[in-house]
Amino acid sequence: MTEKTWQKGLKWLLGVWLTGVTAAALLWAPPAAGFQGDSFRIVFFHVPQAWVAVLAFCVNLVASLRYLRGRRPLDDARATAAARLGLLFAILATITGSIFAKIEWGMFWNWDPRETSIVILLLIYAAYFALRQAVADEERRGALAAAYAIFAFVTMPFLIFVVPRVYASLHPNLVEAARGTVRFKMDPHMRMVLLAALVGFSGLFTWLYTLEVRVARLVAARRAQEEA
Amino acid sequence: MQRSSLLAESLAILGKEVASELRRRVALNAIGLFAVTTLVAVAYQIGPYGLAEQDRPFLLSALLWIILFFAATAGLARVFVKEEDAHTAKALRLAARPLAVLYGKLLFNLVLLLALEVIIVPLYCALMGFAVRSVAGLILVMAAGGAAFAVTSTFVAAIIARASGSNALFAILALPLLLPLLVAVIAGTRAAAGSMELAAVLPALRAIVSLGGVTMVTAVFLFPVVWRD
Amino acid sequence: MVLNARVLVVRFRDVSKRFGGQKVLAGVSGELRPGRVLVVAGPNGSGKSTLLNILAGLLRPSRGEVTYAEDERVLSAEEWFPNLGVAAPDMALYDELSALENLQLFARLRGVSGHDHASLLLELGLAAAHHHKALGAFSSGMKQRVKLAQAVLHRPPVLLLDEPSANLDEDGHQRVVRLVTRMRPATALVVATNDPREMAWGDATIELAG
Repeated sequence: MTEKTWQKGLKWLLGVWLTGVTAAALLWAPPAAGFQGDSFRIVFFHVPQAWVAVLAFCVNLVASLRYLRGRRPLDDARATAAARLGLLFAILATITGSIFAKIEWGMFWNWDPRETSIVILLLIYAAYFALRQAVADEERRGALAAAYAIFAFVTMPFLIFVVPRVYASLHPNLVEAARGTVRFKMDPHMRMVLLAALVGFSGLFTWLYTLEVRVARLVAARRAQEEA
Repeated sequence: MQRSSLLAESLAILGKEVASELRRRVALNAIGLFAVTTLVAVAYQIGPYGLAEQDRPFLLSALLWIILFFAATAGLARVFVKEEDAHTAKALRLAARPLAVLYGKLLFNLVLLLALEVIIVPLYCALMGFAVRSVAGLILVMAAGGAAFAVTSTFVAAIIARASGSNALFAILALPLLLPLLVAVIAGTRAAAGSMELAAVLPALRAIVSLGGVTMVTAVFLFPVVWRD
Repeated sequence: MVLNARVLVVRFRDVSKRFGGQKVLAGVSGELRPGRVLVVAGPNGSGKSTLLNILAGLLRPSRGEVTYAEDERVLSAEEWFPNLGVAAPDMALYDELSALENLQLFARLRGVSGHDHASLLLELGLAAAHHHKALGAFSSGMKQRVKLAQAVLHRPPVLLLDEPSANLDEDGHQRVVRLVTRMRPATALVVATNDPREMAWGDATIELAG
């Protein structure tokens, strides 16, 4: 299963794009008001990482639903690949968010609604893999993991929308601090770089995901050969 | 071949669970002892005077739900895990409709949880000096919160029973899903403690009921897959 | 005695099962019809129980398929489970409940009423003194009798028996023979066994290699 030319081309374009985005993020984007020094630059990486973590969850949902419908091992492999990447980017988002919090507010962790949501997503991914590891039978493993992922996905909107609202009533002082980030006026340059970063990271996810799925396909083909 | 109704089957399973539990009392003991021990530990350490006045409403609400939460995880998974451990699941799988199994066992877990709340909450309020202004509001939050809790816990229990069945796995899988609910019930309890108005608990209650409803519908769709696979 | 008169046919084609790297069943085929007894024979670990679990619909085959058809209409899993009676070593009944309570529970779940469970237990050799005792106190032979009762109380058109005489003395075995004879005309029977006495019941035999 070799790469086609257009796929190779896209891959190189992705590389160039991300290099450009990184350079722009680190060198070109002008500082935003209200941030300590250069800390705002983390936003260009943190936000896309969080976005990819959520995107991966959506991809996992679709693959899980498809697996339950048709029980194709490839759909299970897709779900696992998406979850693996989701876990990675959720960890990255948590770390970059934590660094940002330390610089901005002096504490590594604040439990503001956004931070809490990304941690819960991280825990869901970790739980997903803990479950997979605990099941020996392949078909059952895929089905149970898919069921858990779908169930977890359904609670997500509550994470993103309800928790912050209810949270505000519990931690008013912390929300003030968090509001500072949400309401900042984004310089048009900054917005451009952020958008470009979002596109770039999505591309990165797509590339890594496609790679993992391709490997899974090869493994399945080899297994079918051995059985025949 | 004539079949019984879903309701009759669910009630038959609920009856079986209650009868089994009353005779062996494993889950009751686990949950009850866990709750009482934790409560005594907290009451001893903190008691009615151990918290600053402005922190009391939030912290007391949070502590109560943490006690309930951990006590519940000690026993809620049992309803499915013991079927797999004792190898009785196979006969049940063949004889009963999947949804009857879900409803029967869900109702059982709900009864367990509500019984836990009825015993622990008054005890907690007395020992910790937790003055709740709106008792009706508290009852609503406890009932709705308990129901939503039971739905998620029962579904996760069904999943882990088909995996390794360990309580650790149950906690790992259930915790992330229960956190939003935990936030909502703590907020609701705090609102009931702070105000005599029933309306104060409404925002939290809305969140709890919608979370419970959504998870219930999803569980109904997914349970047959988990149970029969 | 009223017998079940519907024609239920079970066809299985090229059924294989692998667990991880281990192939347990390879390309087994056959058909079950009322009045016929299919014996599945083979040494321990040859996949007899696995095949029965697949025929019951409790396990998915890695390859091949199992079809249940009633008067030539294909049934879904929801529809065929009520038509099954199963007794197997990897299956247990509720230890905290008595023999009668167990049978009453399964009768309620299956929607059968008015049957005399006590007579069925007596027929299978469980003395009346034990009917109200919790299963936890029973010997394995006594539990086996209750298990068999549970398998037949709803008069299923398809009966899957995995080692039915296991743990039973000679008297118990004879009662199983009488039960099989009684059920045979209206039932498609599968018996997984190593016991030569049981193997003799078969109209057809599937030999599984170890």
